Amino acid sequence: MIDDTSLVGESSGAFIVEVRGLTKRYAGVTAADNVNLAISRGEVFGIIGPNGAGKSTLVGLIGGAVKPSSGTIIYAGEDITALPAAERARRGIGRTYQIPRPFLDMTVAENLAVALYSASPLISARVAGDEVKAMLMRTGLAGEGHLMARNLPLLRRKRLEVARALMLKPRLLLLDEVGAGLVDAEVTELIELIHSLDDGETSIVIVEHVIRIVRECCRRLAVLHTGAKFAEGSTAEILADKDVASIYLGTGHGSDRTLPHKPRASSTQRPMVSEPPSKTLLQLAGVTAGYGQARVLTGVDFDVRPGEAVAILGTNGAGKTTLANTISGMVRATSGSIHFDGRDVTELPSHVRVRHGIAHCMEGRRIFPTLTVEENLLIAARSIDSGTRQQRLDEIYRLFPALHSRRGNSGTSLSGGEQQMLAIGRSLMSGPKLVIFDEISLGLAPIMMDRLYEALFQLRRRGLTMLIIEQDVDRALDLADRACVLERGRLALFGSATEIRSDRNLRRLYFGEAG
Amino acid sequence: MLSVEAIASSVASGFLLGGILALTALGLSIVLGVMRLVNLAHGVFLVAGAYLAFFLLQATGIDPIIALIPIGAAIAIAALPVQRFLLEPLAKFGPEAPMMTTFGLAIVLENLFVLYFSADTRSIERDYATVPLALGLVSVPLVYVIGFVISVCAIVAVHFVISRTAFGRDLRASAVDPSAAAAVGVDVRRVHALTFALGAACAAAGGTLIGIIFSFTPASGANYLLTDFAIVVLGGMGNIFGTLIGGILLGVLQSLAGITLGDGYRDLVGLVLFLSVLAVRPQGLFGGHTA
Amino acid sequence: MTQERVSLQRGLHGIEQLGGLLIAALFAIGALVPNLLSDYALLIGFRLMLYIVLAEAWNLLAGYCGLVSLGSASFVGIGAYVLVGLLNQTGVPVPVAVLIAGLAGAALSAAVSPAVFRLRGLYFTVGTLALGEALRLLMINVPWFGGATGLFLRADWPSSAELYRYVLALLILTELVISVGAHSRLSTLMRAVRDDEDAAAQVGVRAFRVKLGTFMVASLLMSAAGALQAYKLTAVEPYGMFGLQWSVDVLAMVIIGGIGLRYGPVIGAVFVVLLGELLADYPELHVAITGVILIVLIRFAPKGLAGVAERTVNLFGRRVAGAHSV
Repeated sequence: MIDDTSLVGESSGAFIVEVRGLTKRYAGVTAADNVNLAISRGEVFGIIGPNGAGKSTLVGLIGGAVKPSSGTIIYAGEDITALPAAERARRGIGRTYQIPRPFLDMTVAENLAVALYSASPLISARVAGDEVKAMLMRTGLAGEGHLMARNLPLLRRKRLEVARALMLKPRLLLLDEVGAGLVDAEVTELIELIHSLDDGETSIVIVEHVIRIVRECCRRLAVLHTGAKFAEGSTAEILADKDVASIYLGTGHGSDRTLPHKPRASSTQRPMVSEPPSKTLLQLAGVTAGYGQARVLTGVDFDVRPGEAVAILGTNGAGKTTLANTISGMVRATSGSIHFDGRDVTELPSHVRVRHGIAHCMEGRRIFPTLTVEENLLIAARSIDSGTRQQRLDEIYRLFPALHSRRGNSGTSLSGGEQQMLAIGRSLMSGPKLVIFDEISLGLAPIMMDRLYEALFQLRRRGLTMLIIEQDVDRALDLADRACVLERGRLALFGSATEIRSDRNLRRLYFGEAG
Repeated sequence: MLSVEAIASSVASGFLLGGILALTALGLSIVLGVMRLVNLAHGVFLVAGAYLAFFLLQATGIDPIIALIPIGAAIAIAALPVQRFLLEPLAKFGPEAPMMTTFGLAIVLENLFVLYFSADTRSIERDYATVPLALGLVSVPLVYVIGFVISVCAIVAVHFVISRTAFGRDLRASAVDPSAAAAVGVDVRRVHALTFALGAACAAAGGTLIGIIFSFTPASGANYLLTDFAIVVLGGMGNIFGTLIGGILLGVLQSLAGITLGDGYRDLVGLVLFLSVLAVRPQGLFGGHTA
Repeated sequence: MTQERVSLQRGLHGIEQLGGLLIAALFAIGALVPNLLSDYALLIGFRLMLYIVLAEAWNLLAGYCGLVSLGSASFVGIGAYVLVGLLNQTGVPVPVAVLIAGLAGAALSAAVSPAVFRLRGLYFTVGTLALGEALRLLMINVPWFGGATGLFLRADWPSSAELYRYVLALLILTELVISVGAHSRLSTLMRAVRDDEDAAAQVGVRAFRVKLGTFMVASLLMSAAGALQAYKLTAVEPYGMFGLQWSVDVLAMVIIGGIGLRYGPVIGAVFVVLLGELLADYPELHVAITGVILIVLIRFAPKGLAGVAERTVNLFGRRVAGAHSV
């Protein structure tokens, strides 16, 4: 594991911000775990890490939106740990949000003006107007000052956020996943913008998944994993490091990974379907979906056959969870159709789709904290007689004995792994025909992942149709018959697991050319 | 100086009355906890129950306490279309719009009551309403005891429903994570509708008891609305037994204020307490959430 | 499309300027009018202008800053009692007394702000409701303020013309204040706090100060209005001056007129006063109908009558512009 701080600031007075022992604990989750970082003046520093690593929490801690459980933050020589967010902004810390939060009922120009008035309250109206205009030009929003923020599409909102933060004339700029959802040309523009800000005086911290931005803009990187700093060093070192790659891709090439049993070729487990089936269980045709202004999925065509296990892969922001949510009904498709078990379910709300046999083991588990373990299971067993219900309950307890002993406890008092078991069990209680497993390995230790995947293998052997969304590419491809890879909301690859595994494009999609 | 008996009786009466008030507050608490809806029409549901009981007694001679469940059910059924057609469509506009709508509803109904039932003060006349009950040192009105017992039974019943039944599970899940609840099969819209109806039923039942014990006018609703908010905030939003304890606490405090400062201060004490708790510990003395 | 939009914007701005001129003209006429109108008409004018003041103040608080208060009665009442007390106990001239009454309201808002601003959103609203009621009950019970019977004005009673002029002055002041508030950088900060308090903090806005300032200004205006109302009634008592009807009326006016819009309060006040006059003999019906209108507007026209007017102008403008661009 790399921890190379040799490139750190020429002299210790040259740090713009230092974070020492920073920890943030929520109920049962440690979002930031004893993080130590030092960022020099004028440096462009990147923070990467898999989903749930705690990157946004770190931004919130430095920016002031989140209060730490322990640790200190020193900014320009001053201890700002107890300072509220507004004061930090006035001292020159600017940040953008992962999902942009412009002032919706105000114009673009007014959005910028708010920041300007905070920084220079007595500024004359004419000068203010000029500065706003200049900033709009600089961030590619020229001529759009009069538009209502509410009417801006997602990408323009992101620019607005950057512009707004820049109006503070920040010495430290925190960019939280600004590159998400951008196409190549836009990423290029963004990189140009970041380069134009790189003036040797302004420090920029870039939290990103889009590796290209990180590679072209940042000199140093830190890697976060489950809230703790996993590695730190120069960009080139980090991106080439095998251990870092393993936590992203789960390639299993790490020396300390052992899987108790790893049935490589799925053909040894069950007979491959030799002729094309006459029936698909799930079929998506031209599905487009998103959240509010953002369009995440575009024209997705996709099908799943009964008894099949299909893996859904892709980098963060590619749309995997949105796809899962669209299939289960949590997100409504804006165009296209979804057919399940011969029925058109496109317009049906989620609870009706559950009745028809779709179950969704959601990302982040979503266990109900006000229900006990057993109640969390029972809530999913709807309108079935008590005999069947008890039968299913017993099966779940057999599959996951740990749940049985904790069945009277509150759902969230379990450990992360046990909660995941509970989530899986809950999705099975409705006796579904199709289960979507969304990122079940998130934030779990490899040993726990092994146990969960054993359970999934068992379920697959019994013929359960499943969709597996997974960051750990290796595990997913071991389990799946077929796999698809999403890239920026579109299907980039779709084929058998073996084909996908050996496809060179896969690594490129995840990690850019550094692969 | 007041005798020990007088003080003790006053406190005991306050205790019992507080329990009755808790029933009226229960509906507000559940609706707030599950639907995040500040139902400003809660007071008129209470008064509606009282009027229904009054006219039922007048027309059929049926004792309101016996008819308590049907009265509650009737108001609940009347509340369903309100939720379905007035409030549900506003859910996507944010929390203020439904609240303002309930406000509008409250002023409409209150004034319709005046138009149709006149602004006269009414009271549901029952013999047992004035009979005192002597328990050793203290003497409390019999009807307080009856009301308290009924109230506690109702609260226990609601608690049972929420903690032991399938509907209660659905309710608790919808309160804390509605989209996840939908994803495991819960019809969240139906849960909201039934929760609102349950809230109205509790209000109406409590209102009936209040109507027997005290008098009421069309404007009484606003009064009890605030008292009930005080109880909900004290006990923790959505916390069933917390509401009971909050009510009792308020009842006792009101009694103490009444005997030390004067009758006019009873309500004031409640409000001051409410504001203080809101300012210092908004999640209530016992913490919120339907648990 | 951009071309149409720009000319439309200019058109709307023109209407605003025209509206401003119109109002100024009305004010000028208003100052001369008392000598020409009957007492009855003067009192209607008084009522209308007073209501506009209250509506503008509430709109500043709720529409521009996002603080939806149901406690308007608190400030109306405070202003009323302070005025009567001052005029009875001291010989200060009426305008001074009104000013002091206004300041008393501002002081009250400053005093309660640390508590109520802790409460976000709906809790704030309920908190203000409780505040209003608490004050009313306090006034009923505490004998120094006259208890349930209240206080009577022992100084000289005003004529209708005098009242009219005072409220006109207050209205002019209010419009000035609101115009400054609505168009200044303060407005930008207020609306940022309204739209997203946390994001505003993140760009350096000290939300507490913005909210406090707005609250104090709005309270000052409402208390001054309450003072004038007391002067007109020559008596104050708790039910009338701290009663819930003030909070109801003010909210109804602004929501019906259009919350957060510059002309919402005026339109709403005119509507409510007109409706009140029409249904003067049927007070309950008046309130009930107001409630129905409230419910309907919230559902179908959340931006109130002013919003509907804006939309109609936009639609019309687009059709006109469209006809030209073909």
